[in-house]
Amino acid sequence: MSATPLVLADPPGPRGRRRILYGSLVALAVFAGLLALALTRLADKGQLDGELWRVFLDQPELRTLLWKGLLATLRAAATGMVLAVALGLLLALGRMSKRRVLRWAATTAVELLRSLPVLMLILFAYLGLPALGWQVSTFWALVIGLTAYNGAVLSEIFRAGVRSIDRGQTEAAAALGLRPLQVFRLVQLPQAVRRMSPTLISQLVTLLKDTSLGFVIAYSELLRSGRGAVEFLGSRYALPIYTVMALMYIVTNGLLSLLARWLDQRQSRRLGTGRSTVALDAAAGSAAG
Amino acid sequence: MPLVSLEGVGKSFGANRVLSDINLSVESGEVVVVIGPSGSGKSTMCRCINRLETIDEGRILFEGRPLPAEGRELARMRARVGMVFQSFNLFAHRTILDNLTLGPVTVLGRKRSQAEERARELLERVGIADKADQLPRQLSGGQQQRAAIARALAMDPVLMLFDEPTSALDPEMISEVLDVMRALASSGMTMIVVTHEMGFARSAADRVAFMADGRIVETAPPATFFDAPTSERARDFLGRVLRH
Ligand SMILES: Nc1ncnc2c1ncn2[C@@H]1O[C@H](COP(=O)(O)OP(=O)(O)OP(=O)(O)O)[C@@H](O)[C@H]1O
Ligand SMILES: [Mg+2]
Repeated sequence: MSATPLVLADPPGPRGRRRILYGSLVALAVFAGLLALALTRLADKGQLDGELWRVFLDQPELRTLLWKGLLATLRAAATGMVLAVALGLLLALGRMSKRRVLRWAATTAVELLRSLPVLMLILFAYLGLPALGWQVSTFWALVIGLTAYNGAVLSEIFRAGVRSIDRGQTEAAAALGLRPLQVFRLVQLPQAVRRMSPTLISQLVTLLKDTSLGFVIAYSELLRSGRGAVEFLGSRYALPIYTVMALMYIVTNGLLSLLARWLDQRQSRRLGTGRSTVALDAAAGSAAG
Repeated sequence: MPLVSLEGVGKSFGANRVLSDINLSVESGEVVVVIGPSGSGKSTMCRCINRLETIDEGRILFEGRPLPAEGRELARMRARVGMVFQSFNLFAHRTILDNLTLGPVTVLGRKRSQAEERARELLERVGIADKADQLPRQLSGGQQQRAAIARALAMDPVLMLFDEPTSALDPEMISEVLDVMRALASSGMTMIVVTHEMGFARSAADRVAFMADGRIVETAPPATFFDAPTSERARDFLGRVLRH
């Protein structure tokens, strides 16, 4: 089932459809030409030789290495996501607190963390924390850096989501006798998350990709493992290995997006807010018809 | 002892004085209808009673005690006062049944099965038993408002506040909501109702309070008020409203 695509125009008429068809054919031809060109160049340089690409079959260690790298990436990403969501919720609550001290502290933290590059936060966790007398492994240094930055960004996403909810929802909950934290947990947050889910997912995908920054502190995630393999086997294996690594990132992030979409659809079948089912039904209807 | 009393209540939004020297007592079982021109402070007064708005002067007593300012006591007081809004404000992400059970389960600590049973009873009573598993936006305005009334009743309140419950409804849905409110009034519920429905005021109210410019200008039983209003403002208002 596909939702109606968001386009900034009226649905095309017959002439418009013909023009779109011709345009698509031209674009396709250009793209195919470029691809063919690239492949011939690579073939000329011997980059497509079967022997190069058989390295994955010939070298079981390579497979293990990349697999381990992927697992390390997933482990850091999963831990980072859980902690960043938790930190994001705390910071969002802090910024919306009645208490001025809390608001001020949370705002300062968010603004500070958001304005620093993730890489700097990771390096700070790796080099700075030990200087302060707290030893951390490369895994935790990476996770702390990712959590700090993404927690701050997520808190802003949560806050924007909560702010977009009609005040009447909060008032109705308060009028029932719910305490402010219960109002947040049971009424504001579920609606905010649903409304902000596209932004949330893309931020989590960014977090997953940013695990590759573990490279600089020698955390053996996917990118570093692959690069190690290229150094060991020789740079003529760079193309196959990096291609496979890229595929691994793409598939992982694709699965993450699919998981999110599936959760979202399951939710909207059960509850649903924000998005109108009318649009979805209409899309389903037009797909069927 | 009155159930609620407002004593010399005053409130401003910035420089805009919205309520001045409001005095009103409501006895248990009484139905008070508040009417008056737009902007006269009816909603604000209604919202002050469960402290959705704070007051600047005077005091409000509920069950003989001043309204708690915050925390657990405020929540406990609000749990005893039902509120129905002009825009329904059903929780958009929960089914109708879950709208009705949220308060009883989280605030009153009732068991879910028990809360659901009671919720279905109430939905039956307001005539939308078949909508229990739907989402608010799948219901018509009149059905949503009846669900919102049922949600408030699920808390077993001792007082119900209505802030223009039918103003957002299409004409053909107004009577289905008013019927539910009439039934509630005759069952002995204490109610404070802000409305423009003069027919409801006449038939269901024990007393009518007429507001203008942030003051209660006149309070009287509906027969007296509608047939012989004492103040110029009320005569003027009724003349304009009842002409249609
Ligand atoms: N949150 C607010 N901030 C500032 N001013 C407000 C706020 N709420 C209400 N007011 C002002 O207070 C005055 C009284 O408003 P209120 O909503 O109580 O009137 P009302 O009698 O309910 O009118 P209506 O019949 O139009 O609903 C109005 O002048 C309004 O602009
Ligand atoms: Mg009003």
